[in-house]
Amino acid sequence: MELYLSVFTFALISVVSVCGIYVLTGLTGMFSLGQASFMAIGAYISGVLVVRLNMPFWPATIIAVLVSIMIGFIVGLPTVRLRRDYISLVTLGFGEAITALLNQSVQITGGAMGFSGIPQKTNFALVIISVIISITLVAFLKISKYGRQCIALKSDELAAKAMGIDVPKMKMIAFLLSVGLTAYSGVLYAFYTTYVDPSMFGWRKSAEWVIMVFFGGVNSLTGSIIATLLLSALPEMLRFASEYRMFFYSVLVLLIINFKPSGLFEEFELSPAFIAKLFKKGNKNGVINATTDRKNQ
Amino acid sequence: MSLQIIINGIALGSVYALIAVGFALIFNILKFSNFAHGSIMTASAFLGYLFAIKTKLGLFPVIIVSMLSGGILAILGELIAFRRLVVRKASPIYYFVSSITLGSLYEAIVTIGAGPNFYNYPRFFKKLVISIGNIVISRSDMIMFLTSWLALGLLVVMLAKTRIGRAVRAVSFDRGTASLMGIDTIHHIQLAFFLSGALGGLSGVFLGINYTLYPQLGNLVTKGFIASVIGGLGSMSGAVIGAVLLGLTETLLINFIGSGYAPVFTFLIMLVFLLVHPQGISGSNVQEKA
Repeated sequence: MELYLSVFTFALISVVSVCGIYVLTGLTGMFSLGQASFMAIGAYISGVLVVRLNMPFWPATIIAVLVSIMIGFIVGLPTVRLRRDYISLVTLGFGEAITALLNQSVQITGGAMGFSGIPQKTNFALVIISVIISITLVAFLKISKYGRQCIALKSDELAAKAMGIDVPKMKMIAFLLSVGLTAYSGVLYAFYTTYVDPSMFGWRKSAEWVIMVFFGGVNSLTGSIIATLLLSALPEMLRFASEYRMFFYSVLVLLIINFKPSGLFEEFELSPAFIAKLFKKGNKNGVINATTDRKNQ
Repeated sequence: MSLQIIINGIALGSVYALIAVGFALIFNILKFSNFAHGSIMTASAFLGYLFAIKTKLGLFPVIIVSMLSGGILAILGELIAFRRLVVRKASPIYYFVSSITLGSLYEAIVTIGAGPNFYNYPRFFKKLVISIGNIVISRSDMIMFLTSWLALGLLVVMLAKTRIGRAVRAVSFDRGTASLMGIDTIHHIQLAFFLSGALGGLSGVFLGINYTLYPQLGNLVTKGFIASVIGGLGSMSGAVIGAVLLGLTETLLINFIGSGYAPVFTFLIMLVFLLVHPQGISGSNVQEKA
């Protein structure tokens, strides 16, 4: 039972970061391959503040998230004006840089040996509350004006610009929001495992999150979340097959991309309107999710 | 010993140039960043290693085997990951996810086959270094340098002068029009993938000789990406210049501040470069078309 609870908690922590990825990739169509490094930054800054400077948990968390957002701003600044390829390439380099930095600063972070002795502050209740808050945040963002602008620029940046959308600004907002959520999930992660090391946050981790979003359906938040729970909990249950994990992931996603490109859930959302529709048959006013553009498939 | 540093830097830069050009080939023809390139590098380097162990032949047969297997892996990848996207004219984000996934797939296969161990290529030379005056050039660096530039030169001649090269450029420029002119686009996309994979295989062998061979060797592909960002995405000459500059900078940094912090500084240099000169050295990056 203990094991299942911890597996479930890890899956839920991933949900928080995937919410961030969903804003970036699902809504805006950008890919960050250094997203896991922002998780590392969140984890390390909060950990160092609490362990080395005896700060209480919550101020440390807030500082960690804010610092990550500031770093995200510096990384995003040159890239949001350019083609979307640049942000993936630049964040990939960023990830390498952060790993090198963490490995080098042995005195503060413990280097490649890892950083241990973080007190366990994250419990199941905190994780559940965080998950609910981040899902609500992203769900409301999706149906808000900002979310619709993001979706518009995802399909066609030039057309979005012509409609008066400030494309660089929207890209920056989406990037920073996702950085904030990922950094927060890093804090949760560090204070749950009580131990972090730089190798946990390579670009494979970021790629895995992108894969989860696409598996569930790039236009569906519900799908992304369910896919995350499924894909991060299942392999933990089948520990013995850990070597084959990435292999199965990749085959699954290649199949999805080739044969069902809109993902398992396509554009379905488990919205209040949908639930209301389930109870009131024949009511056709309940569809609010038709905002996504079919052309993008 | 500044001349020594420059020579080492250029040798390193020429391998980065191979990576960056292989990446730019695919970027030009399909307009997406091929993140599977690193894993193709690793996989073909491993195949070359197996060949070297089994047959005990010299360096050049190994290079040829690696290049061929790199090319074949890339064509195979095109078939399973990108063909349907090309036919469907899918949006670039699908190419992106597909390439990441293909990369993970190849890396997973290599990891399953090789385990997390480190491997060393057999020693190909009896004498390891050549000394001219007080400058010492390692033989592998020398061969690395010569072969890389030979391969790049052949590629340029092929793209610029031959009929096939012209067709590849036409497909890169505008796929629709090229196919109206009677060019078999799929065929030429395959060719571009083969060339890119072969360059990847070549760079994989050199990286394997220079460092050691392990399943995550493909992470070094980041250097090629950084080089092409500095050079201007999609420009081959830019990629080569960017790669040589990166090789030089890295060697200098390693000499003066140690290898640990080198990635941090190369990243900062790239970031500053993008801020002040976003179009890259070549001055023309690909804009998103309407």
